[in-house]
Amino acid sequence: MSLCRHQRPARRSRPGFEPVSGRDLNVAGDIGPSPAGQWARLIPGLGHINTFLEWFGDLAIFSWHSLRAAVTPPFEFRELFRQLDEIGSMSLPLVAAAGAAIGAVLSLEARYSLTRFGAKSMLPAAIVYSVIHETGPIITGLIVSGRVGAGIGAELASMKVTEQIDAIEASAVNPYKLLVVTRILACILMLPLLTLAADFCGVLAGWITQAIAEPLSLQQFINSAFKGTTLNDFLPPTFKTAVFGLIIGLISCFQGMRTQGGAVGVGRAATSSVVLSSLFVILADVVLVKFILIFFP
Amino acid sequence: MSRAARLGAFIIATLGILVLGTVIIGSNQYLFSSTYQLKSQFTTVAGLSAGADVQVGGVHSGTVRSIDLPHEPGGKVTVVMDLNKSTHEIIKQDSVASIETEGLLGNQYMAISFGSPGRSDVRDGDTIASDPPLEMADLIKKTDAILDSSQQAVLNASQMTANLASISAKVDNGKGTAGALVNDKQLYANLEQTTSDARDTMVQAQAGVTDFQENMEALKRNFFLSGYFNKRGYEDSADLTANEIGQLPADPPMKTFTFSSKQLFDKVDSAKLKNQKPLNACGEFLADSQYGYAVVVVSAGANGDAQKDLVLTEGRAMVVREYLVETFGFDDSHLKTLGMGKQAETNSDVGWGSVQIIFYPSGAVIPPNKQSPAATSSGTIRELPTLGSVVSVPKP
Repeated sequence: MSLCRHQRPARRSRPGFEPVSGRDLNVAGDIGPSPAGQWARLIPGLGHINTFLEWFGDLAIFSWHSLRAAVTPPFEFRELFRQLDEIGSMSLPLVAAAGAAIGAVLSLEARYSLTRFGAKSMLPAAIVYSVIHETGPIITGLIVSGRVGAGIGAELASMKVTEQIDAIEASAVNPYKLLVVTRILACILMLPLLTLAADFCGVLAGWITQAIAEPLSLQQFINSAFKGTTLNDFLPPTFKTAVFGLIIGLISCFQGMRTQGGAVGVGRAATSSVVLSSLFVILADVVLVKFILIFFP
Repeated sequence: MSRAARLGAFIIATLGILVLGTVIIGSNQYLFSSTYQLKSQFTTVAGLSAGADVQVGGVHSGTVRSIDLPHEPGGKVTVVMDLNKSTHEIIKQDSVASIETEGLLGNQYMAISFGSPGRSDVRDGDTIASDPPLEMADLIKKTDAILDSSQQAVLNASQMTANLASISAKVDNGKGTAGALVNDKQLYANLEQTTSDARDTMVQAQAGVTDFQENMEALKRNFFLSGYFNKRGYEDSADLTANEIGQLPADPPMKTFTFSSKQLFDKVDSAKLKNQKPLNACGEFLADSQYGYAVVVVSAGANGDAQKDLVLTEGRAMVVREYLVETFGFDDSHLKTLGMGKQAETNSDVGWGSVQIIFYPSGAVIPPNKQSPAATSSGTIRELPTLGSVVSVPKP
């Protein structure tokens, strides 16, 4: 830590990242020796607000560095492919299982409530509509933010506390290019594909659950389920998960890269990566759903 | 499995799902099959939305592409539909588009009827006729009106049944005429007795009338009265109109004999023949010639009472006819009479009137006989045709 501080003037020209506020911050926000900290002693709560605003400012600067690193060559394709595999294919079993479970649960629950309203014939449409419209994307987003967010946060945090990032910088490699951009890009690219897998498994499990309760051919199920479904019900919700991917990648990398304080810091970074990325995924979904309803009626 | 292979398999599999989903949903919207467009115009689309089904014969065969509001008030809402190419052979120029509802509260969809076999095909972008949608509010309004009027009808009906009940109660209790009729056996017996009496009376009356007729006949031939009938020229007034036709036929006459009444008859007011000779030429023609039928038309002078003159002319016509038939002997069903009554003078014998015998060619239809004897006594004055001219008389 103290090494970082001493090296800092030398790194200023390069896009290395250090919290601008110059102290370790997280949302839990312990108040340190900062100008705001002194005010916070007088006004309770001000410290939290200050910490919160500093966090957003740091995130914006971090995003800017990342964007700049992303658009300037050279590109780290080898690392990108490794991350695509790590984030995409390795998450597939988890996401597929979660999607299938959700499909089955929806089928069971919707059957019960729709039968009460005498609309049992709407069951396939209800399952498919809710899976492809909302459940598939949001479940994928949460599962990936759990698995990948924790992974990225812990990995980068441990690299940070063991000063591996400094070592990378010392070997004239931009750690943003190598570590951050590849991970964020991999998240953006893989989330929609994982969502498709979750949708597929959800619909399939929905059909199987339905067919167990009462025989129904897959053909009939598909015909009934996709009657009245338009591409606007399918493509925008699927590709909105790219935004989830951006959020997961960005928050996790940010939390990992700004870690301080040894093993405790690594644990904290992993936790806060998962919590914050999950939270922001859900908050972003609120905005995205409204956005999709307006622009893809 | 290598890292790259695993990644490749994952990407291909998920992109395969993307394509599959797009194709399944897209084919539902006919994005990938060839379609053509049809339009239809409605005053209201009753909540139909873009993307709704279009059904032809109840089969999902297209989607509503867009619904355009009119550009000015009073215009119509245009519904643009994408239809599957396979419906092109069914939908013709006289197909009708209508907006239907699935069930009572279900989705709205567009239904297009089959065209007639002979009509020409629709082209891409054509506008077809529309049926206005059934709106729930209108339906309720109409039902309301029907319910109101049927309520009134039910009230009337119940009023009527109450009246009926009251009447039938009275009848049952023997009140009033109908009650007496139903309940009083005495009345029925009386009625039967009366009918029977009336029948007997009628039989007796008939016998009396026959006797009276015989007496009258005897009286006519009696010395004291025979002079009257002799002077009159004929005996039986009942025979006056036996052969008389209603009016002069419209057909053009074939031949006409005209005589002055003064030549033939005894007196101005008599139907007794004085000099039959002038009639002989006519009688020979009647007996020998071919003709359809002939009419003896007699008119009286302008003097005297119209009613009397009508009877006089009818009598004279009958007398002339009888003379001709008896003297020359031919099929008398083709000789008709017509009394014209009082007419304007057409010859020199003032006040006497004239006798014409008009022949009509064979094939002409004999006019019907004068229908009611009552018409004879109404004193109608008929018009005598000007001789030798074609007369137009309204057909009967």
